[in-house]
Amino acid sequence: MNWKRIFKIFLYVILGLTIVLFALYGYAYYMFNYKFVPEKKYTHDVEYIDPETALLSEGFEVCNENYILQYYNPERATYSKGKNGLRKFILSNYKNKNYTDSGYLNIRFVINCKGEAGRYVIHENDLDLNPSTFNKDLVDQLFQLTTELKTWNPNYLFDDYRDSYMYISYRIEHGEIIEIIP
Amino acid sequence: MARLLKLYLNIFVVLCLFSCQTKREKAEEAYSFGVTNFGQGSAGSINGIASAIEIDSTYEQAVYELSVAYLKRGMPHEWKAQYDKAVLLDSVTRIPWRGYLYLWFYRDYKKAIADFDTSDTLTPNFTDQPQGHSVDYWRGIAYLGLKDYDNSILYFDKYIHQEIEESGEDWVELTAFLYRGIAYYESGNYEKALYNFEKRLEHGRNLSADAKYYMALIAQQKGKIELAEELINTAIDEFKQGYFNNRPYVETLRQIYLEDLHALKLQLHQDNA
Repeated sequence: MNWKRIFKIFLYVILGLTIVLFALYGYAYYMFNYKFVPEKKYTHDVEYIDPETALLSEGFEVCNENYILQYYNPERATYSKGKNGLRKFILSNYKNKNYTDSGYLNIRFVINCKGEAGRYVIHENDLDLNPSTFNKDLVDQLFQLTTELKTWNPNYLFDDYRDSYMYISYRIEHGEIIEIIP
Repeated sequence: MARLLKLYLNIFVVLCLFSCQTKREKAEEAYSFGVTNFGQGSAGSINGIASAIEIDSTYEQAVYELSVAYLKRGMPHEWKAQYDKAVLLDSVTRIPWRGYLYLWFYRDYKKAIADFDTSDTLTPNFTDQPQGHSVDYWRGIAYLGLKDYDNSILYFDKYIHQEIEESGEDWVELTAFLYRGIAYYESGNYEKALYNFEKRLEHGRNLSADAKYYMALIAQQKGKIELAEELINTAIDEFKQGYFNNRPYVETLRQIYLEDLHALKLQLHQDNA
């Protein structure tokens, strides 16, 4: 048996496989990082809330920074007293101090796997969904009330509780809360 | 030399066959890469979709899809700006669809109705079906949201009659009966409300916590407390089994909760005492 010849073939096979693997890796790298990436590359998921700039982020911890689900998926992350409880708390404590504002005041935040809420951001839009600015006192009041919704039911997936992004949208007409979505 | 040229020509043709994609095909490839390899709204998905739009800005599916994650995550300004671009590319599809989104994600009943009405003008001989249901059905719900019961019933009638005529009563969306019943109930017409709740049960294996809850309310109004108690107990059981009206992402219109049913049960118990 010509061992030298067999060894040579073996080396060629290994070399060939290595080249194929490198080529595949290079192709995948090109596909994921260059070919299908726009000029203005998105570096975060659309819902990402930056803990550095978010409100009430200090001391708030998520269980897995790289795995935060959406509130609706796979099951609803919900307020501990249900939608009725949430609505009752907000509507019975909110006071329209002669505000004239109309639009959507959306507050997004994270519910961690322990059911705690934190890392808030606020979006203010008019009823045509264009960015606008609400009366500061109205925003402060609704933000304060929203942060008083302390205990949430966290999302559950793969036999464990998970972090989720959540939002509450207040549809406001002439200072009155008309709808609480979702 | 001639053979060499032929060879080059053949290679060129073969290369062209594999690489000469149209702009749209390249855009579709980028879109498909984004939506099949990554979750909706993730950076990878958005990069693929945005890349597709860069290649072909008239690729409506990509223009629309880029808006969706913003809608579901409560970022209206981002959703609206992007969705409007899709409307410009395919108003026939996207205007009635936007009506559906205004109805559920923004609870803007007037804007929803305006979009459904516009769809009648855009397709005068065709009833649009955004998200699988007739615009008449959605208009029935939107008018119920406005508490305009006459128009709500009018559009539910239109939808139900059309469905019966074209396919039969079995094909009517069950919540059309439920919501038409609620419209009658809230406007004080209990007999017609009962007819609709019974239709809801007839076509839905006699299972609906909502229908039975409203029937219990009507029985209570009529002083039939024992019947009301029987109905609310069944409604509670069916609610626990998951037979209640709800929808993904957002609370549905007139959604009932277990505590609503228990509150009525308690009230009936007190009425009976």
